[in-house]
Amino acid sequence: MEYRTVKLPEKIDLPTMLDFYPLQTEEWTRVSRFFENLKEGKLTTTKCRDCNALHWQPRIVCPKCMSDDLEWVELPREGKLHAFVESVVIPLGMEQEMPMIVGVVEIGGLKISTKIDDAKLEDLEVGMDMELKVVKVEDGKQERYWYRFRPKK
Amino acid sequence: MRKVAVVGVGHTKFGKRNAGWRDLVQEAGKLAFDSVENLEPRDIESFFLGAAQPERFAFLTHVAPLAAEMLGITPRKIIARTELACASGQAAIRYAYATIAAGLTDIAMVVGVEKMFMPNMLEAQSNMTCVLDREWDGVNGLSAPPFFAMCAQRHMIEYGTTREQMAMVRVKNQKFASKNPLAQFSGKEFRVEDVVRSKPVSPPLCLLDCSGITDGAAAMILVEESLAKKFTDTPMYIIGSGQASIGNLINGLPGLANWDACAVAAKEAYRMAGVTPDDIDIAETHDCFTISEIIEYEELGFCKKGEGGKFIEEGQSDIGGKVAVNTRGGLLGMGHPLGATALSQAIELFWQFRGEVPDYRYVDGAEIGLTHNLSGSASVHSILIYRRG
Repeated sequence: MEYRTVKLPEKIDLPTMLDFYPLQTEEWTRVSRFFENLKEGKLTTTKCRDCNALHWQPRIVCPKCMSDDLEWVELPREGKLHAFVESVVIPLGMEQEMPMIVGVVEIGGLKISTKIDDAKLEDLEVGMDMELKVVKVEDGKQERYWYRFRPKK
Repeated sequence: MRKVAVVGVGHTKFGKRNAGWRDLVQEAGKLAFDSVENLEPRDIESFFLGAAQPERFAFLTHVAPLAAEMLGITPRKIIARTELACASGQAAIRYAYATIAAGLTDIAMVVGVEKMFMPNMLEAQSNMTCVLDREWDGVNGLSAPPFFAMCAQRHMIEYGTTREQMAMVRVKNQKFASKNPLAQFSGKEFRVEDVVRSKPVSPPLCLLDCSGITDGAAAMILVEESLAKKFTDTPMYIIGSGQASIGNLINGLPGLANWDACAVAAKEAYRMAGVTPDDIDIAETHDCFTISEIIEYEELGFCKKGEGGKFIEEGQSDIGGKVAVNTRGGLLGMGHPLGATALSQAIELFWQFRGEVPDYRYVDGAEIGLTHNLSGSASVHSILIYRRG
């Protein structure tokens, strides 16, 4: 048989939404301030001016009282390790980071998930002090920022 | 409210199947129609399809009409696909139940399906990472195995649950799965040491603490009570429903080792059914990981909070114990094709009540059964209670 060959591209860029990191600029989100603050080294979130509820993740509407009068507040730079695990489950685009340690940190009354840097599994213990670390995420098209935690030095 | 009966079921082999998404739908649908006399595809008024991620696993959306066409069904009352991650199948059963009970339709078919094996398994694993909030939790490397590993870690710290007790869940469920030809992991039994020494995935969880990536489908036909005897002498009735959702992101959860939404959902399901946890003869609970089943014993009220480890160790969840849990083999032994799992659980009860399971797993005299699914970050719990007809 003779066939006409239909060529598909050998490589396709990782689709935008598949790299896990949220779109961060004003064009794409109304909480872009979170990422701007992160670039300055500050972990921030929103707090309701009407009912004082502290949110995580940052919001544009308070889920407790439906107010949209929110303010940005900075969270402490240090927290305590609530739970942690070394994972070998590999999401696409994170292969180079495997195995990775992920955990939950108690910080300013919140419990937030995080990757844990600069530590081996045996260095970690539930209840230990952790500190904020900001990372720059590069993909050749845009510059983004994200937070991680590491054991307090 | 009208009463609702299950009159026919179909269940494909679960596992790594040499079959595509729509092949699985056709297999399960045919088996369901074959199980009922006097019923043709054209008699189905409403169709509900439980499928968690056809967009990602099969690159298909608008899948309920696709499945209906494959089965020759032309619904003229209600048609929809339901998505609730690992509880997508129960959501489909629930909507069929609710619409029949409300009088919006009399005869509904429910199909649950997931085709999870892909040429690139990295992609399959990645798909599961958007079940947790992709932008705020998934981005931190959280998917089901690390999430449930942290639940295990907290349960061990807060309640003294042991590694061995978790392994015992797999040993029990695998004992049932080993002889179940429909199970992904049929034909083998495991000992506690096999589980503990299997490949670490997210310690303390090892490979054998985790349910599988699985292809499979299952189907059920539900009708308004007065029509049931037209189709079978031994229907199964839905008598209770409870569902609760508390939080989604890690920060919004009541805790990692306490799943409050499960207790809330259970309380409502028991109230509606007019039963207590002691009345449940057989339970199909969502053992996506070994730790899950232990926490579920507690939240479903089979034992006190914190005593789930002891419950499995004492054999209380085995046949002959307080309540027979996961006699088909559980998600651990059967595999977990997301959209099909809840139907597979309900079908186990259907066959148990009719005495259509082999002796090794038959729960003699079972009258009341419970099925439970969790989804996402264990933030949502869905429970249905069934009664022998």
